[in-house]
Amino acid sequence: MPREHLLKIGVSGIRGVVGEFLTPLLARAFAQAFGTYVGGGRVVVGRDTRSSGPMLQRAVHCGLLASGCEVIDVGVLPTPTIQIYTGATRARGGLAITASHNPPEYNALKLFNGSGLFFNHYERSELLDIYHQSDFRQAYNDEILRLSTETEAPARMHLERVVKHVNVDRIRARKFRVGLDSVNGAGSVMSPGFLSETLGCELHAISIDPTKPFPRVAEPRPDTLGDLAELVRTKQCDIAFGQDPDGDRLAVVDEHGNVLDNDDVLALAVMIALERRPGNVVVNLTTSSVIDDVVTARGGKVYRTPVGEANVVDVMQAVNAVIGGEGSNGGIIFPAVHLCRDSYTGMAFLLDRMAETGLTMSQLAAQLPRYWRRLGKTGFEHGRLGPLMQALEDRFPGAKLDCSDGLKLLLEDSWVHVRSSNTEPILRIAAEAKSEAGVEKLYGDVLSLLSGR
Amino acid sequence: MQKPLRISHVGLRGVVGRGMTASHVLDFASAFGTFLGPGPVVIGRDPRASGIMIREGVASGLMATGHDVIDLGVVSTPVIQHAINRMDAAGGMSIGASHNSSSWNALKFLGPRGSYLSTGEAGELLDIYHLRNYSFSEWQGIGAYRTADDAIDRYLDDIAGAFELDSLRRYKVVVDCSNGTSSLILQRMNERFGFRFILINARTGGVEFAHEPNTSSRTVALQLAPLVQPLGADAGFLFDADSDRVAFATETGEAVTSERVLPLLTDYLLPRGAGKLVIANLSTTALLEEVAARHGGRVLRVPVGRQAAIDALSSYRPEQVAIAGEGTGAVMMPRFRFVYDGIASMLAVLSMMHEEGKTLSSIIAAYPKYSILKGEIPLVTQQLPALFTELQARYADGQMNVADGLRVDWPGKWFHVRVSQTEPIVRVICEQKGAPPTALFESLMELVRSYAA
Repeated sequence: MPREHLLKIGVSGIRGVVGEFLTPLLARAFAQAFGTYVGGGRVVVGRDTRSSGPMLQRAVHCGLLASGCEVIDVGVLPTPTIQIYTGATRARGGLAITASHNPPEYNALKLFNGSGLFFNHYERSELLDIYHQSDFRQAYNDEILRLSTETEAPARMHLERVVKHVNVDRIRARKFRVGLDSVNGAGSVMSPGFLSETLGCELHAISIDPTKPFPRVAEPRPDTLGDLAELVRTKQCDIAFGQDPDGDRLAVVDEHGNVLDNDDVLALAVMIALERRPGNVVVNLTTSSVIDDVVTARGGKVYRTPVGEANVVDVMQAVNAVIGGEGSNGGIIFPAVHLCRDSYTGMAFLLDRMAETGLTMSQLAAQLPRYWRRLGKTGFEHGRLGPLMQALEDRFPGAKLDCSDGLKLLLEDSWVHVRSSNTEPILRIAAEAKSEAGVEKLYGDVLSLLSGR
Repeated sequence: MQKPLRISHVGLRGVVGRGMTASHVLDFASAFGTFLGPGPVVIGRDPRASGIMIREGVASGLMATGHDVIDLGVVSTPVIQHAINRMDAAGGMSIGASHNSSSWNALKFLGPRGSYLSTGEAGELLDIYHLRNYSFSEWQGIGAYRTADDAIDRYLDDIAGAFELDSLRRYKVVVDCSNGTSSLILQRMNERFGFRFILINARTGGVEFAHEPNTSSRTVALQLAPLVQPLGADAGFLFDADSDRVAFATETGEAVTSERVLPLLTDYLLPRGAGKLVIANLSTTALLEEVAARHGGRVLRVPVGRQAAIDALSSYRPEQVAIAGEGTGAVMMPRFRFVYDGIASMLAVLSMMHEEGKTLSSIIAAYPKYSILKGEIPLVTQQLPALFTELQARYADGQMNVADGLRVDWPGKWFHVRVSQTEPIVRVICEQKGAPPTALFESLMELVRSYAA
């Protein structure tokens, strides 16, 4: 049996299982390549709460200092907070040490430019060239700059930006009962204060100890938020929020303890944003058609991009979008706060909408058109991808095709999107239709075609 | 031209950025973490600016290999060694390039109880490094990092038990700290014990040193010696950057060569302890034999370099040894676990002044005069065997020692010709009781030069 290699160095950065695969040696080298690429100057470094974080962060500091960068260590903070602070303080770049929603044995480096945005495709490949050539800047003793810590300002800056876009007084007046599950991640250091002190909610929180391991699967999904749903029922919460370890993704539970579909959460955020200011919306190919309905009804235009936050952000900048995101990933990107996925904007938007309308969370969700979705995956052999895609195209001759990221087939009232994962040797399948039976049939057909059964 | 990187049994040393890089740091820390048994590792550094970068890499590599890291901050190597022993740690690392200029840095590796590594242990560490065969822990086993700021005080507790500080603090002493770690220790002694140390070059900024932090008599004569008399001080001492070496000046402003430190302390310690053995390298003054003979002691001559002294020490029981050291002013005393400790050496000199009731100049004047001449000539590696063969033939009438190049002794006169471990040169040292051995020195230099390019 071939040995499994649990490390990926590529255009999405460096990600892997800590220990044998993701080592401090690699982290140091990658950071020094990053420091060389941004050309010295100030670099912001933070992390989520994984046990490997402090070790990898020091390797990153070492590489950055060795390349002549000044390092600002912001400690444990959500990724959006690190990005906002990087952009706001005119640093040369930023690094978040987090494997986002991956299991605890993983870690990764997320890379930001001086505006606090994910490196675009071209920036990433240039960085990778420096890394592979080991062509690093090596600072001499008198060129080595300081390492300092900044723990208070980043969170304050982030939350000040968020509350500018909601009516804090009307949220506070409602004294919402709010449930929270921060998976003991970076959100643990910021979300409780934000909800209870800034927004005046009655907080019922679980998993907000940043020193403890993740108590559940790190990705916030309906099947992983059982404890939070239970909390909503026992504490009679009005709404509850589930975060991932680095606080960019958001999942929402309504007052009955039902976990909303992440596409619907994004659709509600889009609705809220467009009603204040109409304009363009950018989502990835896998995001639900519910977005098209919501946007079209408000006179806006939807742009679709390949999957990946950086892809969405690139197009959002190009078309000056009002809002965007990635549905199934639970990512809301609201550029007026920052061009990054931000769970705090999502929380504030929904609480503000409830305060404004007097509707419950389930009533808000019920305003959305109803779609049925099915997500899944199947393994595939290297080299077989072309014939599989061809067979898929042949199977649906009347479909409209979008080949910008794998293959998306747009059918009458339904669609299916098949793409190979950037991180694993699997095909991801997403299907959507206007009825439950419709989506089951479409998904089943595609799965049996791809898996040869 | 000194090469900008040297990896050897005593550790790693180089010009930061030009020879010694962040990559070396991570590799060596990971190798050392792999080499050590389980348990915490104590680290500390001298004030060089590059020390922060190196500390981050060192901490990361040690944490990744499963060790908790206890960072003592800016402290001397002897303080680290003391803390390893006190905390029963698995080992330690000292970050600092002792007598080299500020552009250099180095890693020293310390075993359990704060001992230097034996040649066998150091060889094993180098094997791990060369194979890059590191044992990185999985995510649950990664070590934690913490700081400890009481290491200097705990070390001084020990110092207070070994010397009569009450009777020493009346001395007015000027100290040139070479912008190194002695500054922090001596400031603390002033506060805590009421000493009257007047410190010069005591800033520990780390980018530029006031002068090369070495203990040569030229360095002592530069700033320290001229200050002693005008200030009405009883003595002047000079430490290298990590305060393991010491040199001094008398109350009359005479710069005393660091060669004198070891004979002086031998004279003081031999009658006061059980050990009768004095360990010194082949390049150190013959005054040592004369002093040792007065107290029934015996001198064991070993090759130049700390490693040879360590290996010699390990062949004897601690109580058999009175003292070990070298002509650079680096001295190990049994009371201090055979650690090169400049602070302890200084206090021993002051104790000698106190107990004998004499000034430093009169103590120095009581010893017979020995004159030493030193030279160096660039080498041609291929010619070295022929050079040593001819030297042995020409000086066959003396007593020969070939443990490190060639040393030949006659009554009242000796020379040592050896190849430097750090630079591509042959060193010639020649000493005579009384007048300088000019004729012997000139003919040696001429012979060595005839084998150079």
